[in-house]
Amino acid sequence: MESGSSPTMIEAVDLEKSFGAVGAVRGVTFSVRQGEVLGFLGPNGAGKTTTFRMLAGTLSPTQGRVAICGYDIASQPLQAKSRLGYMPENALLYPELSAREYLSYRAELKHITRSERDRAILRASEQAKIGTMLDTRIAHLSKGYRGRVALADALLGSPPVLLLDEPTAGLDPNQVLEVRALIASLREEHAILISTHVLSEVEATCTSALVIHKGKVVEQGPLDALRQRQKGARLKLVVQATVSSLGSTLGPLLARLSPRDAAKVRIFQREGQSHALLPSADESLVAEAVRLCVAAGLAVLEVTPQRRALDDVFAALTTSQTADEVTASIEAQ
Amino acid sequence: MSGLLPTFKRERKGLWVTPLAWVLLVTFLLLQGGIFYSITVHFSKMEGAALESGPLNAYFGQQSLLMAMTLLLLCPSLTMRTLAEERRTGNIELLLSAPVSPSAIVLGKYAGVYLSYLLIWLPTGLYAFILRDTGSLHLPTLASGYLGIALVGVSHLSIGLLMSSMARSQLVALLLTSTCLFGIFVLGIGEYIFDDGILRDISGYLSLTTLLEECSKGVIDSRRIVLHLSVGAWALFVTSRIVQSWRHA
Repeated sequence: MESGSSPTMIEAVDLEKSFGAVGAVRGVTFSVRQGEVLGFLGPNGAGKTTTFRMLAGTLSPTQGRVAICGYDIASQPLQAKSRLGYMPENALLYPELSAREYLSYRAELKHITRSERDRAILRASEQAKIGTMLDTRIAHLSKGYRGRVALADALLGSPPVLLLDEPTAGLDPNQVLEVRALIASLREEHAILISTHVLSEVEATCTSALVIHKGKVVEQGPLDALRQRQKGARLKLVVQATVSSLGSTLGPLLARLSPRDAAKVRIFQREGQSHALLPSADESLVAEAVRLCVAAGLAVLEVTPQRRALDDVFAALTTSQTADEVTASIEAQ
Repeated sequence: MSGLLPTFKRERKGLWVTPLAWVLLVTFLLLQGGIFYSITVHFSKMEGAALESGPLNAYFGQQSLLMAMTLLLLCPSLTMRTLAEERRTGNIELLLSAPVSPSAIVLGKYAGVYLSYLLIWLPTGLYAFILRDTGSLHLPTLASGYLGIALVGVSHLSIGLLMSSMARSQLVALLLTSTCLFGIFVLGIGEYIFDDGILRDISGYLSLTTLLEECSKGVIDSRRIVLHLSVGAWALFVTSRIVQSWRHA
């Protein structure tokens, strides 16, 4: 999805998965390059976990193919899987083992040699911040720590591809920040795919996003492009005036807008101030709006060009509402 | 077959760090100890008992019905968690995403369970030690008695693993395996019910009690070895295919 010379590490082509007559995933195609962090977004039941399972090789697609570092996961599963670190959402791990024993077992499964094993465990546990808990039985760990043990498992041996299903679920805010920082630090040398419901996480950690809805990709691309494609930019203007005087002041400006954009303009009173939301935030519009207000003697309290929040884009893509309707409904609350 | 060794070690350790194996071991040894004690007391009251009918022969052979019942309890209990628990906990996702083949997973788990089975039987070797000075100990016969136990383990544990792969709960796996093994056991009893003919031959071939009785006397029938090894190989093959098919679920 991102141009560049970095090699493609994850390639999903026309992935389909049906459970009986129900199509869980339908024609999903995307790729992730080294250095890219792709946020995999979608509401519950959209097909995120099914897609992740197909990418990890634990579920075979009804149609389509997956390649990890160029190795087809169906015909060369061992080569593909040895380049993959997978953190599933709900695995309970083995409660009777300590974190160290568990990671040692997993390292051996991943063919990390005995001489490298201790070093790999130490590195992964430091990255996942579980160093102090290594000798604690998994049964005695909190949900957050268990998630971090699973994260350390995915990081074992530093595989070039990381599939992280809800990596910050159950973590406290500080731990969330740590994991985000970790993902940012891993970005250079890995291709990372993150499934999450937390849109702020995508904004904070991902270079691009893919939105899946009812098994189909409804949008994908770099985050900024995604927002722009949803015609996200707006101008928020707050002045010390009545709604009618603000409306009449901005009249010449509104007359220049297309009928469609003019219909989207909203002027309302809130906490004694008049707010105007204009459906564009280009520089000339901002300058013109401020000039008109100043010329009319209105005190301009706030001028904020607003980018469309990813939440609005996500809601618009996965509901029948438009992004503007979503924004309006959020603001009305 | 990469991944077999770590799966084997994990299975072996996973069983013995839970109370299950220890409860099984204690129950098993109490049961076997009671049987051995009653046999020994019985023989101590007999004068001039012949070598071939010594206490250990009786332990493996003449009490084969008790032995068979013990095996019907032991094998399903050992295998019930192997694959069913991995699926229930979702850890199968981790296992299948590792660079390990389904055959390695199945064989590793089987080897782990089989070793545990042998370890559970190991303390009964003390019975031979106790009887070493009685003149009733005949090592080749003792070895063939244990061979019978080992053979039963090959087939029964593989069937248990197969049933565990077909269930998502340990309890269901236990019930499936018990039902299956009990069915085979009942088929073997047909040896004493049917008149001469093919049905009786088949029942005799399948009979668990006859196998244990023959082995306790030092009689090793290669047909029975082939049967149990074949059942074991078939069940493990099918289990591997089932694990493979989970990708298509």
